[in-house]
Amino acid sequence: MSPLDPRLQEALDGERDPGELPVDLREAYALLAAATQVLKAMPPVSVASRVMTEIRQNPARAHSEGRARRLIRWLGEGRAVTVRLRPVWTLALAAGLAAVLLLPWSMGGPTPGVAEGIANFVGHFPGARSVEVVGSFNDWSRGVLHLSDDDGDGIWHAKAVLPAGQHEYMFVVDGERWVSDPLAGRYVDDGFGAGQQNSLLIVRPVSAQP
Amino acid sequence: MSWKLVLALALVAGPARVVAQSGNGTTRLAGRVPAAALPAIDSLITAAAAESLPTEPLVQKALEGGAKHIPADRLVNGVRRGLLQLRQARAIVSRAVPGQSPAKNDVAAVAAALARGLSDPIVERLITVAPTEPPGPALHAVADLVAHHFDPDSAADLLVEAHNKGLRGVRLLDVAVAADHELQRPGGCTTAEALARVRAMLPNVRSVAGRP
Repeated sequence: MSPLDPRLQEALDGERDPGELPVDLREAYALLAAATQVLKAMPPVSVASRVMTEIRQNPARAHSEGRARRLIRWLGEGRAVTVRLRPVWTLALAAGLAAVLLLPWSMGGPTPGVAEGIANFVGHFPGARSVEVVGSFNDWSRGVLHLSDDDGDGIWHAKAVLPAGQHEYMFVVDGERWVSDPLAGRYVDDGFGAGQQNSLLIVRPVSAQP
Repeated sequence: MSWKLVLALALVAGPARVVAQSGNGTTRLAGRVPAAALPAIDSLITAAAAESLPTEPLVQKALEGGAKHIPADRLVNGVRRGLLQLRQARAIVSRAVPGQSPAKNDVAAVAAALARGLSDPIVERLITVAPTEPPGPALHAVADLVAHHFDPDSAADLLVEAHNKGLRGVRLLDVAVAADHELQRPGGCTTAEALARVRAMLPNVRSVAGRP
């Protein structure tokens, strides 16, 4: 935009007699003075009234479109959105977002170390109320590693990070029934004279897993 | 002796005594095994420690028996059986690798193989072939094959050949898996034929991820 000649500006401001202006500036002054008169004659128009005027001028578009089309048009149009947040709420929001992003990593999948591997325990126990796995990896302690059957199809499963190497274990169903893992593939007599077989699990270190 | 010195000695000696007691793992058994079995089990574990045998397998066996509510006499017998297997395992390792003090991990691995039913000569042979390697994977691979009705000597032959062709560690378990897969193929084959097929593909047996 070219700057306004200072003499022209002074004339518009009433500080200079327009008759003193050169011919070319006098023509520009005449045009600008006329425009100023037109603007002064118009009543002030608010944003709201301009919007309503626009709607009244296009009643067909506002009412004849289906909801879906209006929604699509609304979604497609650019809008300025102003959100006012106090800093304390901003920090809380950031912390919540970080938790949502980070929790799946810490809860969704155990991360084994170099000398550890991941063991998947799966058992088919339809109608069971609880299934847990007890073995040498948890000092044969009860209540440490529970299997879950979220969809109720009778297939119970659990995942655990265990030290690489050999582990003996058994499933405990409904808190009292000791059962060998039918999918273990390896078994060893438990040595207590009743012919019960422990399941045998060999955990490969993550470094050895393809 | 000032009270400060007494206090300092107590602070040092107290934990040291606890460590000495828990060094064999027997303190982990309190409340986990029948009280009637505890003295005998403690004696067995102490004997194992005195013979430089690994004690953890015996502690685990006792904890297992306690969790399963095994009667005291059978529980003690189970732990005693474990001690005998550890002694047998150490003797095998000593014969296979003479002149060296057997590593406790190796003794425990051999005892586990004996518990799975492998014979002394086969275990000794596998250790002799790879005296510097942890014996566990090769022993388990042969035990896996034997459990699937393969001839023990032929299974050991295959594992020796796998080792000679460069397979080590848990990759040896893949040899047993491959042989079992050959046996399960449609059309069928004998165990000898399955072993021959795997021998022909060595060392390129397929690696098995996760639980083998």
